Parts: sequence; C-alpha cells; structure tokens
Amino acid sequence: MKISRQKIQAGITGFESPANEYIDVALSLDELLIQRNSATFIGQARGNSMTGFGIFNGDLLIVDRAAPRSNFDIVVATLNGEFICKSIDRENRMLISACPERKIYLLMPDDDYQEEGIVISSVRLHRKLSRGR
Amino acid sequence: MYALVDANSFYASAEEVFDPTIRGKPVVVLTNNDGCICAMSASAKRLGIKSFSPYFQVKDLLHEAGAIIRSSNYALYADLSRRVFEVTGRYAQQHVYSVDEAFLKFSNQHSSSTAWFDIAQDIKHTVWLETRIPVGVGMANTPTLAKAASFAGKRFDKFNGIAVLDSPEQVHYVLSNMQCSDVWGVGKRIAARLHKMGIYSALELAQYPPAQIRKAFSVELERTVRELNGTVCFSWNDVKADKQQVFASRSFGERVDKLEILNEAISFHAQRVGRKLRQQGSVTRKISVSAQSSPMQPNHYKRNVVRQFITPTNDDRKLVGAAISAMAEIYCEGVSFLKCSIGAIEIEPEATMQCDLFSSNDKDSALMSCLDAINAKFGNHSLKVASQGISDKRWQMNRKYLSPEYTTKWGDIPKFTC
Repeated sequence: MKISRQKIQAGITGFESPANEYIDVALSLDELLIQRNSATFIGQARGNSMTGFGIFNGDLLIVDRAAPRSNFDIVVATLNGEFICKSIDRENRMLISACPERKIYLLMPDDDYQEEGIVISSVRLHRKLSRGR
Repeated sequence: MYALVDANSFYASAEEVFDPTIRGKPVVVLTNNDGCICAMSASAKRLGIKSFSPYFQVKDLLHEAGAIIRSSNYALYADLSRRVFEVTGRYAQQHVYSVDEAFLKFSNQHSSSTAWFDIAQDIKHTVWLETRIPVGVGMANTPTLAKAASFAGKRFDKFNGIAVLDSPEQVHYVLSNMQCSDVWGVGKRIAARLHKMGIYSALELAQYPPAQIRKAFSVELERTVRELNGTVCFSWNDVKADKQQVFASRSFGERVDKLEILNEAISFHAQRVGRKLRQQGSVTRKISVSAQSSPMQPNHYKRNVVRQFITPTNDDRKLVGAAISAMAEIYCEGVSFLKCSIGAIEIEPEATMQCDLFSSNDKDSALMSCLDAINAKFGNHSLKVASQGISDKRWQMNRKYLSPEYTTKWGDIPKFTC
C-alpha cells in the first residue's frame, strides 16, 4: 500500500484558542501561602484548644521558621518533647490557649521549651482529603 | 575564597527535626536493609560505637543505652538536604557535592578574617534557623583547604564548627594536626603508600615536591598537593565528574531461592541503573549482573555475567531484558540468594554515542523521558516495567525502623497538639 506522508486537514478544527498563550498563569496555593520555601513546613492541628483563634481540629497549619516575630504570635513549639500550637506572650513567657478550660500556661525554667516557627496561615479542610499519598 | 558547608551527622540530625521526643538522645540511623550503622547523633557517638558497625553486633549495647534506632528515610533526607542548600545557595555560587555537603565560591574580597568568620557564622545560624539542621563551615583559599578547614572545625577543640584558614599560620597549624589520610582525595590505599615514603601528616604531604607526587602517583594527587599550598586546581567540573560506573544492588529482606523473584529484584535494580544513566546523560555498552548467597554460609555461591549491547543504551526495557537473560545463567536451583546487583560498566556520554552502522536506530529517548517525567511527578517507581512484579516484595529492603515521611507524604505530616 502506498502511504502519503503529506499532512491533510480533515474535519473542522476551528481557531486556536486565544487563551493558549496564558496557559501558565494559573494560581498556585504555594505561591500564596509560602514565602520561604526552605523554612516552611506543614503540619496538622490536633485538639480544640485553639478554636477561639480560628484553628480547629484537623486544620492544616503552615509554619514558617524564619518569619519575623512579634508578641502574641501563634506558634508551633516543642514543649517537653511534644509539638504544640499556642499563642505566645513573649514578654511574660506565657502560652495562651483559646478555650475556657485552659487559658494560660506559664513557662517554667525547667520546661524544655523551644519555638519551632510561626503559624503564618491555616487551611480548613471541609471534606476529608481524598489523596492520602 | 571557598567555603565547605557540611551538615553534622546529617541523617541523625534529620531524624530529630520533626521528632522532638528523640532530640538530644542517642540516635542511630541504619543503612539499607538495616544492616549497618551509617549515622549517629553526638550523644550516640559518645557510646563509642564505630560507624558502619553491623547493627546486630551493637544491638544490645544500643538497647541498654536507650538509643533510638531509625532506618534510612531517604525521602525525608532528600527534602531537608534541598532546604539546606536552598539557604546556602543564597550566599555564593554553589556546588552541591553530596547529600550533606556543598562548596561555595566567593568572588568578592574581604580584607579581614573576621569578615569571613561573620559570613560563616551567618550561614551556620541561618541554616539552623530555617531548617533545624546543624552545619559546620570551613573556609579557605582552595576547595581542598576548605575541606581541611571543615575537618578542623569539627574535630579540633579550638574551633566550634567554624574554621577560617586565611593566613599561612592557620593553614600550617591545621595541616600539621591532620593525618595525610584526612586530606580530601587521599584514600586509604594512597595513604599507605605515602606512609612508606615517610609522609604521615597533611603538612608533610603539602611540603612534598608536587612534581614527584605526580610521578609517583597521579596528576590528581599533584593537584591536591598544590591546593594544600593555596593554588586552586580543582574546578566544579572536576569535582563533579560523571560517574564512570553506575551500580545498583541491595541485599534481600529475606533469602530468595526462586528465579522469578530474582528476576523481579534485578528488574527493579536495572531500572534504577537506567534512571541514573539518564540523569547524567550517559549510555552504557556493557552491564554486569551478579547474584550471590551469604558469604557467611558454607558453599558460598557467586556468579557474575556480563552482557554487551550492540548500540550503547540507557533504555530501561533493554537493560531489564539483558539483566533477566543474564540472571537465567546465574541462577542455580537450591541456592538461597542473599543479594543481587547490576552495574553499567562501560559508560559513555549519550551525546557522542557511536552507533552501529547496521543496527536500526531504535533509540527511544522520548519514551524514557516520559517515564522519568511521570515518576518525577508521582514518585519513583510509580511507572515501571512489569517484570518487577506487583505484589509480595519479599526481596525489598527491610526498613523496620522507618520514621514518617514528614515533608513528602500528606498522611505523615507532623501533628501539633492544640
């Protein structure tokens, strides 16, 4: 059988989409939520003591280790071997929760406390994540 | 000025980043298959265990000391390594040398050593702040001396992880306190020969006439000597030469005595070799395939088969095909195999590849690029040759003590108590 290598147009192709040129400009959540890639990590809130600050059980927390600090930041820290998320009163060395039962925790000299980073944003998952990858 | 930034006990430090419960404790990381110790935290080192000791030999001692044992978590280490170099790359032109080491080349001049010291201090501080990985910084006028500075920074009490060698006196002091085998580029075998010539310290090596070193050894060692004397001889290209041979091997999680399973394992390793070859833009003319039983058992069995390609290749399908045909020759009924390996042993650049006049040009690089792109997006081994098998990976690595993939798997991200 003889085959012609000539390209022949078949059917209606219409015009090329004028939007093709703009294909790369979709919004990226990383771009919005992460300022310093090297210093940012993502974790998940467990518990309900921060609901008054808008952080609920299961929320994703975006933590920046290098974000500028200020008083009453919401931080992720290690307290005696555990990752916690609290608001910190740096002047009075107090960890502040936002629920009626547990209001404040005064940091003592023998507490092993280390700040990990600032919670710069949180993401509420209204449905369960479908990909567990 | 050159700087070498080097992470302290990188794997062990990486394990501590997202696990506050183990910080400060003796942390020990095991190699592939949990066989040997490959990294120890500072407090684990104090137990007096040698690096690369077989795990089973020191298991009881570690247990008694309350040590934390971890399997190698490569996904975590790769991500943290990327973060560290993202920070260090801000300071100067960077050459990443290994998973935990990078060279920086500063083109600007500073008159005082305090200025350099401040930069080194700032690198160390910023890497710690952003990544929680402790690093040391060694600075000097050549890459080899920067390596020596980094060595001194870690081992000599007088430095605290940072050493700047910018005066002849400083260089003299450090080299006279180093063995020649501690010098970058001097291996055990070369060191033994140097000892015979009466060269023991790094300073003695530096003071040896370079021309004679070249005669007795090689151009590379001559360059090392010149670098110890402050003349830059290595460039980034030398430092990162393409690998001449690419190997993939691993012990099995449990002994294997069936050919089908050996084939699955060798297919897996063949694809690893293919990926590595493509990454460095190489093809191979020959592969060497081998399998063996445990050398500790009586009747140790080991066979090695070499296969040659008419046209050099980096195509997974060809590598896997050749590996499986070689395995059929190696296999022997009744042998419990411990380990198999495959190596690309005659590598050349793909760009200058010599084709055979009579072979069809069946190079299918688009397919392999597509495969690599899919695996880059969905994780290694998402798309693979079917001969790797799909279930019951008995030959796969044992990684009994694996920590979560905190930064690369959604299900494993750290949890914060609120």
